[in-house]
Amino acid sequence: MDLRFSAQDEDFRRELRAWLDANLPAEMREPAFWAGKGSDESFELRREWEARKAAAGFAGIQWPTEYGGRGGTPTMKAIYDEEMARAAAPSTVNPLGLAFLAPTVMAIGTDAQKRDIIRPLLHCETIWCQGFSEPGAGSDLAAISMRAEPQGEEYLLNGQKIWTTNALHGDKIFTMARTGTPDGGKRHAGISMLLVDMHQLGVEARPLKQMTGASEFGEVFFTDATCPKTDVLGGEGNGWATAMLLLSFERGSSAIAQYTEFRRMWDEVVGVAARMDRDGRPAVEDPVLRQELAAALIELECLKYHSWHVLTQTSNGRDLGFEASMTKIMWSETFRRVSDVYEKVVGTAFAVPKPRPDLSLEELTTTAMWSRSCTIWGGSQQVQRTVVAERVLGLPR
Amino acid sequence: MQFQLTDEQRALQDAVRSYLRDRFGPAQVRELYENPGGDGVPAPLWKALGEQGWLAVLVPEEHDGVGLGLLDAAVLAREFGAGTVPGPWLGTVLVAEAVRLAGSPEQQAELLPGLAAGRTKGAVALLRPGSSPSPAAAPATASAGTLSGRLDLVEYPAVADVLVVAAGSDAGTGLYLVDPRGTGVTVTSVDSLDRTVRLGTVTLDGAPAGRLGHSGAATVQELLDRAAVLVANDLVGIARKALTDTVDYDRTRVQFGKPVGSFQAVQHALADLHIAITFAEHAATYAAHAADVDAPDRRLAASVAKAKAADAADAATSAMIQFHGGIGYTWEHHTHFSFKRCKRLQAAYGDAAQHREQIARLTVDAAAVAT
Ligand SMILES: Cc1cc2nc3c(=O)[nH]c(=O)nc-3n(C[C@H](O)[C@H](O)[C@H](O)COP(=O)(O)OP(=O)(O)OC[C@H]3O[C@@H](n4cnc5c(N)ncnc54)[C@H](O)[C@@H]3O)c2cc1C
Repeated sequence: MDLRFSAQDEDFRRELRAWLDANLPAEMREPAFWAGKGSDESFELRREWEARKAAAGFAGIQWPTEYGGRGGTPTMKAIYDEEMARAAAPSTVNPLGLAFLAPTVMAIGTDAQKRDIIRPLLHCETIWCQGFSEPGAGSDLAAISMRAEPQGEEYLLNGQKIWTTNALHGDKIFTMARTGTPDGGKRHAGISMLLVDMHQLGVEARPLKQMTGASEFGEVFFTDATCPKTDVLGGEGNGWATAMLLLSFERGSSAIAQYTEFRRMWDEVVGVAARMDRDGRPAVEDPVLRQELAAALIELECLKYHSWHVLTQTSNGRDLGFEASMTKIMWSETFRRVSDVYEKVVGTAFAVPKPRPDLSLEELTTTAMWSRSCTIWGGSQQVQRTVVAERVLGLPR
Repeated sequence: MQFQLTDEQRALQDAVRSYLRDRFGPAQVRELYENPGGDGVPAPLWKALGEQGWLAVLVPEEHDGVGLGLLDAAVLAREFGAGTVPGPWLGTVLVAEAVRLAGSPEQQAELLPGLAAGRTKGAVALLRPGSSPSPAAAPATASAGTLSGRLDLVEYPAVADVLVVAAGSDAGTGLYLVDPRGTGVTVTSVDSLDRTVRLGTVTLDGAPAGRLGHSGAATVQELLDRAAVLVANDLVGIARKALTDTVDYDRTRVQFGKPVGSFQAVQHALADLHIAITFAEHAATYAAHAADVDAPDRRLAASVAKAKAADAADAATSAMIQFHGGIGYTWEHHTHFSFKRCKRLQAAYGDAAQHREQIARLTVDAAAVAT
């Protein structure tokens, strides 16, 4: 057991911190700054921030240098994630492209795809959407019905996607469509992964309003939209295998960033609890709430230890495989745990963004609501549990 | 950074595992269950603990020990929990820790070699059962070189050669050495639901006692924390074994024409357990390491580990019975060995609620003051 980082890793952390101190304005670290911005303005600001990071060499930490990355180690990536979370840096505008599409293109893309896709993605010149879910195909991804008919050198796309993150800001979408005739029992056959331009007449994105009031996701309608045949990723009819490879780039190693973020939320919740009244005393003195705050902190500490475990595995070159499903359950449930305590601490004040002139709960309440989505997207909690039971514990199907 | 056991620690783990697999299994545990009148210390097992250095693990080399750390002891505790291992290992190791942490050079030279070799068996009484683990809950009072008080639920007092007792006095709380067979000491055995342990009440009535070096409240707390960490690791061993056995059983038990382990209600419950136990394993491992390197958060880590392990083992042993169905409720099946050991240990050295309150004192109160 040795929890210290190497001298090079510590150098990297120092360099990154110094750069953040010099380049991330203090106001951009404040929730209030973002609360005052409209969604388009805040998107553009975050996009600029992302480009600035890329220009300074603080993007694609683990990507090979030939793709403009830093060629770093899993440890450097974990340090990066942790420092970004600690500095309360804006979250990425291109999460699906950076985490999922880019590594897939590096692994199985054509030379032209590697050349055209990766660099603009890294600099956030192209924002990518993930078009997997359909109204009739959520957890059951193989039930998709969007069609792509071959026509000369192109496909003609017709169908609908839903819950598409960044639908309104997306430039391109990697999406799954049926290119072959559906073949009775073989639902996974005849699917292709297409890389589609969203700035064309046949593609229409409409916002969907979330329970937070924001519209980070939307619906995307395809009506005789086109996609050149050269923009298939992983080969025609191989869409299922491509999707599985893409989804295997789960972000287990960012558990340290999740810990850092949720821990900050927990600290804020304690601060609120110290100022909320409960039976004439500060809520923080209520024995039941103390138990719940401590129970949430236990999960947080365990999540931190787990992130060390994940980092140890990845930096020793071991593949996490289906354990990534476990990590997803761990962080999303820990997040829910902290959010649940917050809801109990504020009680009736959950209904009011600003219960007192000296107390604004807007940000925490939005975050607590956001926690509700994390146990759904990326494979719902129930689906992940089945994966853990069958693939990690080895229970029969 | 490497958050994992070293190769040496894994070798130690393998050695205990294979010893238990070959020499001490459910049949030997059952003997203890069918013979509650015995001393509860299988002689070959105790001999092996001494010979293999598993009692000497924390004793410094200059006193004939192996000189390893709490994480190495935790590796042993975890395997002993998984194997429902009986005997005064914990008491002996804790007495040695007390002597190592606070004993005078003379006390160390006199006691440690015997404890390390297994010639001397140890027992401890550090707090009143049911109390939060704190020096304020010392079970005895000290006065003029003697101790008085009633020590309940002491492990193996009848076979112990040396007893370490936390006692309060005008000069504060400290640790004392008592001869369990000396004057003013009465040992009464009591039945234990968990028959892998022998429990008793020790009544001290002006029993002669020597203070352990310069021990004070801080040493008592340190020992309580270390005890909690070792028990947390035992609980983690119990929990992991309970889950593994349940998965094995449900993989092959067929109902409705399918293995019951293929039903989602079973799968999801066991997946949740696996996650809770994995968290508890990380926490129990870190807490032991934190004690070894004197990390600033080591008290917090001990409480996190004890609370998480107690809850995980509680859930795992309950699920073990449930997901074995009727067979899980029979005396003949081994589910109740782990269940009863878990019940005993989940409350020992502070239960989950007490440790959560401790965590709240260490963190919530500090954070609330800061805002
Ligand atoms: C904030 C957010 C962002 C998203 N972004 C994207 C995106 O960018 N691109 C994209 O393609 N999709 C996106 N999604 C969609 C997401 O992947 C799906 O919502 C998710 O896969 C669940 O599908 P569903 O909503 O159709 O629920 P359903 O599949 O209808 O399931 C409903 C509920 O039933 C339960 N359930 C379903 N199947 C099973 C089963 N086999 N066993 C046990 N229980 C089951 C689960 O509890 C599930 O939550 C996003 C979703 C959210 C909430």
